[in-house]
Formats: sequence, C-alpha cells, structure tokens
Amino acid sequence: MMNTVSFVEVATIDRDGLADSRGNNIRKMLFKDQGIDVNSVRVISRYDIFSDLTSEMLHRSVYDLFSDPIIEYGLANENVLFSNLHFPSRPDIVVHVGFKPGVTDNISQAALDGLSTIFPKLSKKSKIFSSKLYSFWGVHSSDINKLVESLYNPMIERALISTNADCVKNNLNILDIPIRENYTFTKPKSISLDVSNSELMKISEEGLLALNLNEMQTIQSHYRQKNIQKKRNELGLPTNMPTDAELECLAQTWSEHCSHKIFAAKIHHLDNETNENTIINSLFKTHIVKPTIDIQNDVEWLLSIFHDNSGVIAWNENWNLCIKAETHNSPSALDPFGGAMTGIVGVNRDILGTGLGARPIANTDVFCFGPPDYQGEVPKGLFHPLRVFRGVHAGVRTGGNESGIPTVNGAIVFDDRYIGKPLVYCGTVGIMPKILKDGRESHIKTPLKDDIIYMVGGKVGSDGIHGATFSSLELTEESPSSAVQIGDPITQKKMIDMILEARDDGLIQVITDNGAGGLSSSVGELAELTNGADLDLEAVPLKHPGLSPWEILVSESQERMTVGVRKADCQAFEKLASLHEVEATIVGKFTNTGSFDVYYGEEVVAHLPMDFLHNGCPQLELKSQWIKPNHNGISFPDKDEKGMGEILSRLLGRPNIASKESWVRSYDHEVIAQTVIKPFGGVNHDSPGDAAVIAPIHGQTQGAVISNGIIPRYSDIDTYAMAAASVDEAVRNAVCVGVDLDLIAGLDNFCWPDPVESDKTPDGKYKLAQLVRANRALDDVCRAYRLPCISGKDSMKNDATINGKKISVPPTLLFTLIGNHKDVTKAVSSDFKEAGDLIYLLGETHQELGASELAFMLRDESKGDSGIGNNVPQIDTTRNLTLYRALTKSMSRGLVASAHDCSDGGLATALAECCFGCDSGASLEISNIFSKSQDLNIWGALFGESLGRILVSIKPENSNEFEKLMIGNECNLIGNVDSGDLIIVKKLGKTVLTSSMTELRKEWKKTLNEGGN
Amino acid sequence: MIPKVAVLSGFGINCEIETMALFDMAGAKASRIHINSLVNGTVSLDEYHIMAVPGGFSFGDHLGSGRLMGNRLRFGLRNQVRNFVKSGKPIIGICNGFQVLVKMGLLPGDSDVSLTQTASLTINDSGQYENRWTTLEFDSKSNCIWTKGLTRMRIPVRHGEGKFVTLDNNLLDNWSENGQLVARYVDPSTTYPYSSDEVLPYPISPNQSWRNIAGVSDPSGLIFGLMPHPEANHSTWLGATWTRENIEHGEGEGLIIFRNAINYVIENFDN
Repeated sequence: MMNTVSFVEVATIDRDGLADSRGNNIRKMLFKDQGIDVNSVRVISRYDIFSDLTSEMLHRSVYDLFSDPIIEYGLANENVLFSNLHFPSRPDIVVHVGFKPGVTDNISQAALDGLSTIFPKLSKKSKIFSSKLYSFWGVHSSDINKLVESLYNPMIERALISTNADCVKNNLNILDIPIRENYTFTKPKSISLDVSNSELMKISEEGLLALNLNEMQTIQSHYRQKNIQKKRNELGLPTNMPTDAELECLAQTWSEHCSHKIFAAKIHHLDNETNENTIINSLFKTHIVKPTIDIQNDVEWLLSIFHDNSGVIAWNENWNLCIKAETHNSPSALDPFGGAMTGIVGVNRDILGTGLGARPIANTDVFCFGPPDYQGEVPKGLFHPLRVFRGVHAGVRTGGNESGIPTVNGAIVFDDRYIGKPLVYCGTVGIMPKILKDGRESHIKTPLKDDIIYMVGGKVGSDGIHGATFSSLELTEESPSSAVQIGDPITQKKMIDMILEARDDGLIQVITDNGAGGLSSSVGELAELTNGADLDLEAVPLKHPGLSPWEILVSESQERMTVGVRKADCQAFEKLASLHEVEATIVGKFTNTGSFDVYYGEEVVAHLPMDFLHNGCPQLELKSQWIKPNHNGISFPDKDEKGMGEILSRLLGRPNIASKESWVRSYDHEVIAQTVIKPFGGVNHDSPGDAAVIAPIHGQTQGAVISNGIIPRYSDIDTYAMAAASVDEAVRNAVCVGVDLDLIAGLDNFCWPDPVESDKTPDGKYKLAQLVRANRALDDVCRAYRLPCISGKDSMKNDATINGKKISVPPTLLFTLIGNHKDVTKAVSSDFKEAGDLIYLLGETHQELGASELAFMLRDESKGDSGIGNNVPQIDTTRNLTLYRALTKSMSRGLVASAHDCSDGGLATALAECCFGCDSGASLEISNIFSKSQDLNIWGALFGESLGRILVSIKPENSNEFEKLMIGNECNLIGNVDSGDLIIVKKLGKTVLTSSMTELRKEWKKTLNEGGN
Repeated sequence: MIPKVAVLSGFGINCEIETMALFDMAGAKASRIHINSLVNGTVSLDEYHIMAVPGGFSFGDHLGSGRLMGNRLRFGLRNQVRNFVKSGKPIIGICNGFQVLVKMGLLPGDSDVSLTQTASLTINDSGQYENRWTTLEFDSKSNCIWTKGLTRMRIPVRHGEGKFVTLDNNLLDNWSENGQLVARYVDPSTTYPYSSDEVLPYPISPNQSWRNIAGVSDPSGLIFGLMPHPEANHSTWLGATWTRENIEHGEGEGLIIFRNAINYVIENFDN
C-alpha cells in the first residue's frame, strides 16, 4: 500500500551562537569564485517520501529522523520557508536543486535506512528523494544566472527557480520526483561484421567501443574461423558474428584503459639529435618490467609485481605492504565531485582486491588543475579550474574521510593546459598479514575449478556504462553522462569490513574489484587463473529493471567486488555478508573449459575463448621522432637584495609553491593512529613536510615512508629530464625523513596527451618520442637507485577538443614511492628546530633554471619576453645516491635536526619553508656553493632546481660527526638558524637577498587560503 | 582481572582498530562487536565491562552526524544499553561515537537514562572538516572516571560537526555545576588551570563550540564523550611536534584516559 506521497523540509534554527554553516559556505564560495555578494543564504534540506507511512508516523519521523530537535526546525508537508517565525521575510530567489533520475543519492539511501530503523515494518518499496532548497536574500538580478549555474552540475542535477514574487504568493516551484523512465530491456542481439572497413569503424565509433580498424578486423576474422563457428553452432549462438555482449566485452578488455596498447606497441623510434633509428618492442616490457625483474633477481622482498591489482612487497616477517595509484581524469572533468570520489574509493578497492585481500591504510592524492585564478575563457562544457579544484577536493575528501583511510601525502600542480582535462591521481597503500591463519600466503590467489563466483557490495545500474572505453577517447561536448558516477563510501566501508573478516576466516579463494569494464573484466580476468568461467547475468542484482545483458556485463557501477569462494564455505560467507548488511550474490563459477561463457538465465549470450579474449588484441605499430625543442633564454631583471626578497615572495605566492594547508587540513590524515610525519609540521603546525611516515602496527616503531615526485614543467624542454626529476624528487623526499634505501619501491603513473599520429594529432610522433624518453629515464634512474616499479598505470588520451580547439595536457609522470623506515622515532621533519642550529646545503648546484618555477614566473611577468630557457636540471644518480646514503646514515644516528628537499623554487624556497616551521629567520653565506659550477649566477644559486639537493640543519654539537659522515659528498655549511624574523642571504659578505620571514609566510599562505573562519 | 571491552563496529565506524589497540595497550581485552550482533542477540553487552563507540562516519553522517547510528542504538538496543549504564559500567564515545551518544540522549544525559536528546553537535563555524591538533583542559572537580587526575592533553580533532550547542544556558550552567563539562579547548600558552566560558578564537577552538566544550560526561561520571581523539596519541611518536621535543619515547598522552577506565573496572568489578 504505497498511498502516501509526502515531504519533510528541514532548516537550521536561526539564533545567537548558531549559524547556517552550509549557507555561509555557499555565500563565501559565490563571493570568492564569482564575485557575487549576497546578504544571506539559507540551505533547506528536503525529502520527498513515497511510503505507507501514516500521518502520525510521518510527524514522528520529523524529529526522530529528519531533523535535530536542538538545532533544526522541520515540518512535514509544509514549506519551512513560509514559516514566518523562522523566516520573517521572503527570499529574493530560491533554487531547488535535485538529482537527475538514476544518479546515486546517498542521503536518500541513509534516510530510508533510518526510516526503517524506526518503523521496521515499513514497506520495502518505500522510496525517498533528497534535494536542497537554496534560498537567497539580497541578490542583484544581474547575478542570478551565474549564481544558479554555480549551484548545480547539469550533468547529474536539475535546478528550478522560484522568484520573490512566487515566494510572496507562498508558491514554491518544486522539481518533479526524479523517477527514471522505464528502461527498455533489449534482447541480446548480434552484430554482423561482414561489412566494409568504413562500416566496421562506424560500428566502433557509434557503439563507443574505441576499437581501431585493425582490431575490428581481428574480431571480424575470429568469427570467420570454421572451428569457432562450429563451437558457436553447438552452443546455439549466431555462428559467424559476435553478440552485442561479446563485442562489448572485447572492447572493454582490449580498451587502452584496460590493456595499455600504447605501452605494449611496437615503436619505430627516430632521434634527430643522435640519429638513433631503432625498434622498441613494448615500452612497458622493455623499460618498466625488465628493470624490476632484474632487481627481483637480487632481492627477496618483491612478492607480486605488475600482474595483480597492486604491487606487493614484504615489509617484515609478519606483514606485506601493497600500493597502487590510479587516475580518474575524464570523470573528474565532467563531474569533479563524483569523478574524484569514485577515483579514490575505486583505488581503495584495488587494494582490497590484491592477493586474497589487503586493508587500505593510507591514501595519496595528487591533482593537476588549470590555474585557480584563470581569467581566460573557459571552453563550453568545461568548468572553471577553481570549480574543478573544489569539486575534486571535496570528492576525495569525502571518499577518504568517510572510508576511514588517512590521506597522508599528495601534491597539487597548476598549469594552463590542465584546463582541458584535470589530472586526478588517487593512490592507496594497503597492508596484509603475510600468512593467513589457514597457512596460505595472502598475496597469492588460489581459485580452483568449481569455486563459486560472488558479486559482493553494490547493485548494478546503468550508471558507469562505457567508462573504460570512454576514458580511451578524448573529451568532447557529447561525452556521455552515463560515464559519470557518484561513489557511496559507506556501502563500500561495510563491504571492506566484511571482506577482511572473510579473508581472516579463510573464506576467500580469489578476489578482484569491479572497476573499468565491470564484470566483463573482473570475471574475465580471474578466469585466466583456472582457464575459464561461467557467468549468469540474470542472477546479478540490479538497481532498476530493464538492463540488457550486455549492459549488466560492462556496467561499472561502484562498490562491487568479485570473490571466488569454495562451495563448502558459501554458507559462512553469506552469513558474514548478512551480519554486515552487505549484498553477496552467486553469479557464476570457475571452470577449466578454456572459455568465458556468459549466460542470461538459460540463454548463452557470450562465448569467448580465453586466449582470444586476453591475447587476441593485435599489437599496435607506432612511430616516434625526437626533435629537440629550442626555447628562448631567461631574461633576468636587475634586482638588489630587497628586490630578490620580493622575487622570493612572489615565487612563494605562486599556486604551485603556495601553502595548500587549508585544503589539506580537511583531509583526515591521522585516522588509524599511525601517522608519524604529517603533511604539516613545525612549531605552528604549518610548514610542509616532505614525505609521510606511518607506523601501522600500533605500539611498534617500524614504519613505512610514502612520497611522490611530479614535475611536468620540465616536459617542455625534455621528458627525459622530467621523468628523471620526478623519480629523484620522490626519492629525495623519502630520504628527507630517513627512509631505508635498501627497501624502496615505486609506482609509475603516466598521463600523456594522445601520442598516436593522426589527422587530429599531427604531432603524435613527437609526443610518442616524449613517451619513449620518459620511459628511458625511468629505466635508468630506477635501476641506479635500486628502486623497482611494482605497479603503475597509464592514461594516454588526456586531450580535450572543445569549440574546435584542442587542449593537450603537458606530458606528466607521477612517481610514487613506498619505502621502509627502520625506526620511526628517528624520523626527521623539515622544520628548523632552534636558533643557532647550523644549516648545510647538500648536493651540487648548477646553473639549471630551464623550465623552473622561476623561469615560468619571469615569463608570465614579462608577458612572454623572457623564455623558459633550455638548461633543465640533469641527473647524476651515482652522486645523488652516495649522498642520500650518507645522509640517511647520519639520520639513523640522530645527528640531523631537520631536512627539506630543494625542488620548486630551489634553495630560497626550501630555506623559507624551513624557517616557517621554526617561526624564525636565518642567515646564510652561500659563496661555497658556487665552487662546482663556473657559470652559476645568483639566480641559479637561489632559485635553480638542480636535483639531488637537500637543505639540512644540524645541532652545533653534532656538526663534526655529521661532516665526517658526509665526507666524499658535496656538503656546504652555509649558515645558521636565527632567532629574529629576517632571512638574509650573503655571497662573499655582500647581501644578495633579504626579507622578513613573517611577510614571506603571509604571501605563501594567501594564494590558496580558503580560510577557516 | 582483565576487563573486557566491547568496541562497536559497522556502518561506517572506522576507528575501531586503534580504539581496540589502546584498550589492549592499557591492559584490557578489547573485542570488535558489530552492532548487528548485539541487535540479533548473538553477543550480549552483559558480557563486557566497558563499551566504546569509536570515531568514524556512521551512515556517512547523512541527516546529521551520529543521528542514524544513534537511532540504531536507541531503537534497537534500548534495554541493553540502559541496563549496561545502570549496572555502573563505563562507556566512552569518541568523535562520531560522541555524536552518537549525544544524539541518542545518553550524553549529557540524566540520572534516569531516559535517552532524551538535550544537546547537539553541529557544523563547525569554519564550515569545514578539519584535522588539527588541539589542547584540552579537564575539569578537576568532575566525577568523570575517565579523566581522573588529568590536567591537560594534546590530541587532534578530526571532524566537521563538533560544535557543542544546547537549547538554553541554564542547562549549560547545571552541567557545569555538576562537573559534566569535562573537557574544554584551551590556549596552550596559558597556565593551568585556565577556565573561561568565553569562546576562544579559531583555531584554538577549532569549531567554536559553546563554552569551548570538547567533551562531556553524564551525571554519574561513567559515560564520557569527546570530539578530539585520545586514541590518536597512543605513542610519543604520533605527537604533532614530537620531532621538536626532547623526549623519551614511549606512551603517548592519550593512553591515560583508557587506563583510567580499566582501573575503575578493576577497582569496582574485581571481586
């Protein structure tokens, strides 16, 4: 009996000492982002309820569920805005914002759960729809359009406006309930591939399959084979053509996103600089796998590399660590909040799906955005970078915080070219007991024929169809909204709790997550382990009826794991699921038939031989050509010591260097009670750390170090230098906290513009040569540092064509490092400790300002008259590693008071940041650092970004022992920490830079400050 | 005697592992208890001496932090919880757990354990979720068994809804007189005891809580809830500025709260 359609509205009570903080946030955001100044904003929550509630039950629920009796005011079936007691005047405008049909609405799910807690007999068919009424007082009519636009994302939401005139008449315009139209079930069908080449490509393009002609032809010829046709005949499948489910499954499995075709391609590489002319057979195998395998021959701790959802290393006798980073760029461009949230909860599932299941214990988040103060035109269909920033940050914050996983490390990089596509890297570290109670090694999956396949967690809906193939295409105005989803961290958290208990009880044989490609990928990939699987799509629980078999197969609906369980354990597994209120449904079983067979009830909808599915995709053949670019030189303005102080001040205020504290503080970085070195340290908790250190076993002092390196600016000169610098930065950061250099491992996450030459990408050969060079640097540097890559990911289509204009991201490599820390009580932080401590610069400084942050600043300030130069920092891995080892040894002896790496903005920036942590100044004499380089000028010395350099401070009583340990390395005493406020740098007695630490800190904090109050 | 602690879990609670670790470090035996196993009767609270509701994001904080979890306890476990309280056993709620205890009416509570909500925790004035370290000062006149002998403590807050408010000031005066306003944010540069009802500036008070309230107890002093996380400072190497301090490494400042409750149980239940 669903005869009641009612609603409840809730507002914050307006009185002394209470504030409508949600409303105030909107007011601040409108002013900051749009310059719109309104007097007041109130946010009203609305719940539309379809249920069999009696009027008495409804009224009881107002204060037992929907509103808080102390701070809120709620009404059933009446608009709170028209209550004269609470709202003495009618608003100028009210904007009702609600979801589009079918979009995940976590609030409604929670409300429904809450309603059935109070009324256990509530009809199971009850539904609740949440929405918000944003009400504004004091709005200029000219601001209304911009105001409304900034309140909702038309991709996933709808909005309806009520004017003051409406409100005066007590007439509020309310959105219809977002009930989706009936979704029509289309019966499985077949697609004939006996067509012309142009027809083949049309099938691929119109179906969003992202398959090229060669791949379509390969599929075509598969269905022409006699033995295949015979087998299909036996199964009752159309003999000479694929079913829709088969074609979709192949497209997912063979997508760039899932199978990394460019990294697997055969590349004909030309180098105009060296006349090199070679063939590279797979960058991945040659430059990423091979170095790791070579290192694996020498060490015991590389347990699982490349093949699982994350890489696994042995951390100590009892525990393994695993780590993975992913990108979620396209979804974050279209819906920054939902896209980023699914990014972080998605990579958490990679950890949960590693081996027999690992516990996620730390997140890392690295973002690349357009400049927050971008003034230019924002292409149609895209958001202003600041809005993308806000949304992505909120999504990652919500996903991480609600899952109880600390965000311990990250970075934010700004560049104009990320306006077309933001890069959203989400990483997670996991921990797993080395040996389970039943004696199995937890990093090895052990499925057997006849094991039962469960789908666990969320249901399948039409959200997230074609995510994998969509991300393999460039972004256009027609990009589909079905590729966008919103995560549900609480459903996932319940699932994680349940899965880890099941693992400890020995109930799991095999596990993987449902990410890109959905069940087609998860079951399809696990089936390789037993050489076959049967899957029944009709058994899959759905969010709404009407999904066609192929849609169920490829849907990327969130919060789902695929788990293999022995028949004998099924009952225990289901009991655990029921305790945790987690859905677990049998959807198939493992076989050894040599094929992946998909059913819809009795009907066969796909039969794909394992070998064809996983090895049938033809290798791409590509061309690359390196032509060294030539940039204009840097013009240095005339500056005295104060002028240099002002340069430093402006440099510190650049978004790339400016403090991100107010954003980072809203990530929980300490849940799990393990974070030893936090994102910010120092006397006022506001100076930036270099790397995170965690001690994940409570009460024990062995730790793990997590750091990252990312420096896409250098790609403008040379991607070899860019990649080398990224790896060095990650290592340097880890060294600054005292990492154990004998146990470090890395992740490579490439985000490239499309490097395949075509009409749309005439410079494809150059972009591919950039990829080749970056891979070679990765290979060289990782081998030299004994730093094996254990997992990684690439995203190769980071271009957007909007209004006919193509915007490509700069080639970007994020290098993430995980390492051991032998004793966290010896960890070192970046902040100077006290006046009188001696300051040393370790490492050689060369005139390397090419593509430095300073070079970009001078270019921007001169409106392009100054170039970015050509002398990009070069790496000397032998010199660096020797120094890093000497330094970490000194740290383990407790000799180092602070250590901070020199990166963006060079020595001067590092010095300022160390001073912020001590709340005092410093005085330096830097003439010694000029000894290694004839052409070094004062700009290069202060702001150059030469690699391998670390700024340390040492207590005077430890300096002798420290210097002794550093013998053989470039180690220059350059000054001391002062008690005053001045930062003074001299060269041969002459002051070359002077500034007030307090003033510098003010500038550094101003740019990206969101304000806490 | 080794006291047994029921640390609740499920539905988005996420600090149960470290909360258990703290009780274990302090000498108890902590068990993770899914709320549903209390509701369905497979586990009974009677078997335990202490109950802890850890931090987290139960039900995503939708419809207000702690509200839906509070309702699960209020409607699903009403008698078990009341019996537990009436038998004189300690309860702690941390962060989201504190929000749960306040929303279900167990804190600041009343001597009848009527489970009537009289206070709330609302959105920080900053409008933001924040993770930052704070200094707490404890009321030395309080009968709260969890904070016995404590003066000040440095522990982090990690919340978006931690501003303690109530319906009227008379209630606050009563709670204050009863010693129920146990833990308050304080400026670390002042000397102990520093007691003022004036709201301290942000970020010393991270949420602009009324009277700087960070944690409260019930009239019996057995139930205690607080927004900051004492379990986050179980060891010296987790402090915010430990690398600047000349310290002997070992137990962190937060552990004493857990040990206090364990000692209380041993004194009162070991027969």
